[in-house]
Formats: sequence, structure tokens, C-alpha cells
Amino acid sequence: MSDVVERTLSALPGLLGQHDSGAGLGGGGPGRVSATSRLGGLIRSITALASKHEEEKLIQQELNNLKATVSAPTTTLRLMKECMVRLIYCEMLGYEASFGYIHAIKLAQQGNLLEKRVGYLAVSLFLHENHELLLLLVNTVVKDLQSTNLVEVCMALTVVSQIFPREMIPAVLPLIEDKLQHSKEIIRRKAVQALYKFYLIAPNQVQHIHDKFRKALCDRDVGVMAASLHIYLQMVKENSSGYKDLTGSFVTILKQVVGGKLPIDFNYHSVPAPWFQIQLLRILGLLGKDDPRTSELMYDVLDESLRRAEINHNITYAILFECVQTIYTIYPKSDMLEKAAKCIGKFVLSPKINLKYLGMDF
Amino acid sequence: MINFFLMVNKQGQTRLSRYYEHVEILKRTTLEAEVIKNCLSRSKEQCSFIEYKDFKLVYRQYAALFIVVGIDETENEMAVYELIHNFVEVLDKYFSRVVSDLESMQPASSLEKP
Repeated sequence: MSDVVERTLSALPGLLGQHDSGAGLGGGGPGRVSATSRLGGLIRSITALASKHEEEKLIQQELNNLKATVSAPTTTLRLMKECMVRLIYCEMLGYEASFGYIHAIKLAQQGNLLEKRVGYLAVSLFLHENHELLLLLVNTVVKDLQSTNLVEVCMALTVVSQIFPREMIPAVLPLIEDKLQHSKEIIRRKAVQALYKFYLIAPNQVQHIHDKFRKALCDRDVGVMAASLHIYLQMVKENSSGYKDLTGSFVTILKQVVGGKLPIDFNYHSVPAPWFQIQLLRILGLLGKDDPRTSELMYDVLDESLRRAEINHNITYAILFECVQTIYTIYPKSDMLEKAAKCIGKFVLSPKINLKYLGMDF
Repeated sequence: MINFFLMVNKQGQTRLSRYYEHVEILKRTTLEAEVIKNCLSRSKEQCSFIEYKDFKLVYRQYAALFIVVGIDETENEMAVYELIHNFVEVLDKYFSRVVSDLESMQPASSLEKP
């Protein structure tokens, strides 16, 4: 994990603790009770209720209080942040709180770092792609993308990759392309994710930056490379012939992952980057379909993946499943097929019910 | 693609919900109620993957908490199953004892009930 994120995450509990004024203040001054204790109190009281009817009454009362607080002109941004957290909770339980949406946008615009974080979170949860208030967010995002504060840039990029109006893509596209060359890997990674989102909602607008995606694929940071794989999976799904030349690169990357060349952080129960392997196997499957020459390149690495995934853990079964699926999709080779069939046999005969399901799925 | 991620307790109260595509608020509660009904009616011998409407549910039980992920047919179910476990491990490491803390939100009165 990048050191910027590590430092931010370790500093956050300390910063949040500054708002704490001790437990059990109940009716004490509104600005002094911490956000977590008010939300915690609300959650506990909801859990304590026996019936749905009582829950509805309590939430309606809470929503009325919140409506009054957010609309009051004297409400500080700190208090607004606290209200926003409770509004998110109420919406999650299924009670609409649309009066709070505009205040969420305002919070993201005007707040300091922590308030901005809550504001952006609220916006990404409350609003959806076609919401009319989303356009108001664009200015804030543009401003934050140009900020010198890395955390603000990260937050803006996260929101862009979650929810952004299609019509405003041209406004932010140059800024995000810029971020692809940023020195911090977390920003490059988030920029790739934002561009992936743009590719999904408006593919014609990102046609011109395909070679920048290639650069991301060869990036020295694993996170950035992993993010670019999502884009490639989508692009290969739509047009596999355009990317056959990248087969070699994907095979090399998979070899390196399976061979344990990644940093140890990526190990999950001593399996190197399993979801990463699965993603690569999917891409290779699509590239090798009905193409003997491309499939030739993959046989070795598929063989090795099959061999390495012998450990008895659910995640290795997931990798094996994906491996076998890839073997069946690409141009067939008899001994590979034999190994794959043995694998399926083991799944179906296994006492574990989940594995039987996987075996049946073929 | 992951469509939604839910954490629901045995009583059917939603602890956490995250939707990755737009679902109307009113529809969400019905969806959650049906999903948890499907998961609670499963026995221990049945597998963790259920077919529900046009997606699959992958669920995992941790004490009194159910974590349910709705996926479409392009996803590897076992990979998502382990992703849930990875998520819980990360939460546990970062917040320590997360599952037991969520359980402790059950009030003392419920322990007195027969």
C-alpha cells in the first residue's frame, strides 16, 4: 500500500479523536458531542426497537430533527458533517432524505479535509448518474483536481470514478489525463480508475488516449497496472483482435505474479495476488479464443498456474476454476484439456458443497 | 460485476449496504428483505451461492452477521466468496474485533429473551 495512504490512514483516528468530548453527553451542546457517538447512539436505539413501526417513528423523528438542523443558517460545517453521517445511515435503512442532498454538495465544496471527505462520501451515496444536482458538483471536483493537497485530489478522483455526469466529461478529461503522469502512484491509479469509468459511460470520448493506457499497463507500480487491467478486460471483450499484440505482456505479467515477484503485501493466505491472477486469466481467455497462434503463447503459463494452485484453500480453487475456464475458451490442446478435466473431476467429487457447485458450473 | 454489497444481521436489520448501480430507495428495502430471507432459509449443507432473479447471491455468515454480495454471471463466485473474507479480515485488522463489536450492538435485553 502506498505510503501516502498509510500515513493518512494512521493520522485519521488521531484527527477524529480531537472531536471527541467523552461518552454519555446525551443532551449536551450540539457541537461538542462527537459524530461517532451520536451515530452510535442512533444505531443502538434502532437495534433496541422490537418492531418496524417503532423504527419508522424513531427515524422520522430523527429526520425531522436533522431537517431543522441542516436548514438552520447558524449550523457549523462540523455539525453539518455529523448530520450528514446520520442522514447516510437513515437513507441506508430505506428512508428518503432528499433535503440533505444539496447540503452534502455544499459540504464537499466548503468544508475542510474531513468535512470534504464526508461530503464527497454522502454525494457518492445519495446521488446517481442522472441526478440533476450532480452538475453542481462538477466545479468542486475541478477545483479539487487542481489542488496542491494530494488527499483532495484523491477524493476528487474517487468521486469521479464513482459518479459523474456524462456531459461534463470534456471538462475534466484533460485534468485527469494530466494526473496519469503524477509522481504519486495512488493518484495515477485513481486516474486510471476514473478513465475506466469514462470508458464505460462514454467510450468515444476516451478513444484518443489508448496509448496512455498502454503506458499504465507497463507502470512500475502494481496498483496502477492492476487498475489498467480492468480497462483492458473491457476493451478486449469488445474487440479482441485489436489487442493480440499485448498477449505477450499479459503472459509475462502473469508469469511474474505466479512466480511470486510481487511485493509480499499482495499475498492473500500465501497465494500471490489471486484476484489479479483471475483478471489476467480472463483477459488471456478472450485473447486466445479461436486463435491457435495466440493460444500457443499461453500454454506454459496456464500449465504453471494449474500446478501452483495445488494448495487446499478456497482461493486457489477460484484460480483453478478460472484457469480451467480459460483452457476451455482458447484454442484446444489435448494435454491441457486432460489436466483441466481432471481438475473438474476433483471439484465434482469433493465433499465441499461449494466446490461441487463450481464443478457443475462448467 | 458486483451489483451490491450488504451486511445484514439475523433479525433482518441492514448494517451496511452499498449499491454499485442505481436502485430506488424504496426498492432497496424490499430487495434486502428478500435477499436475507433467501439466505436465512439456507441450511449449513447447502452451498453459498444462490440464484436470485437475474443475479447470483454469494453469502457468508459470520456469527450473527450475514455478508451478501450480488454479482452477475461474468464473475467468478469463489473469487467473490474469498473477497468477502478478505474484506472481513481487513476490517478486523484495522478496527480489531469488528464482528464481535457489531454483535455487541445487540442490546442486553435480547439476551434475556428465552
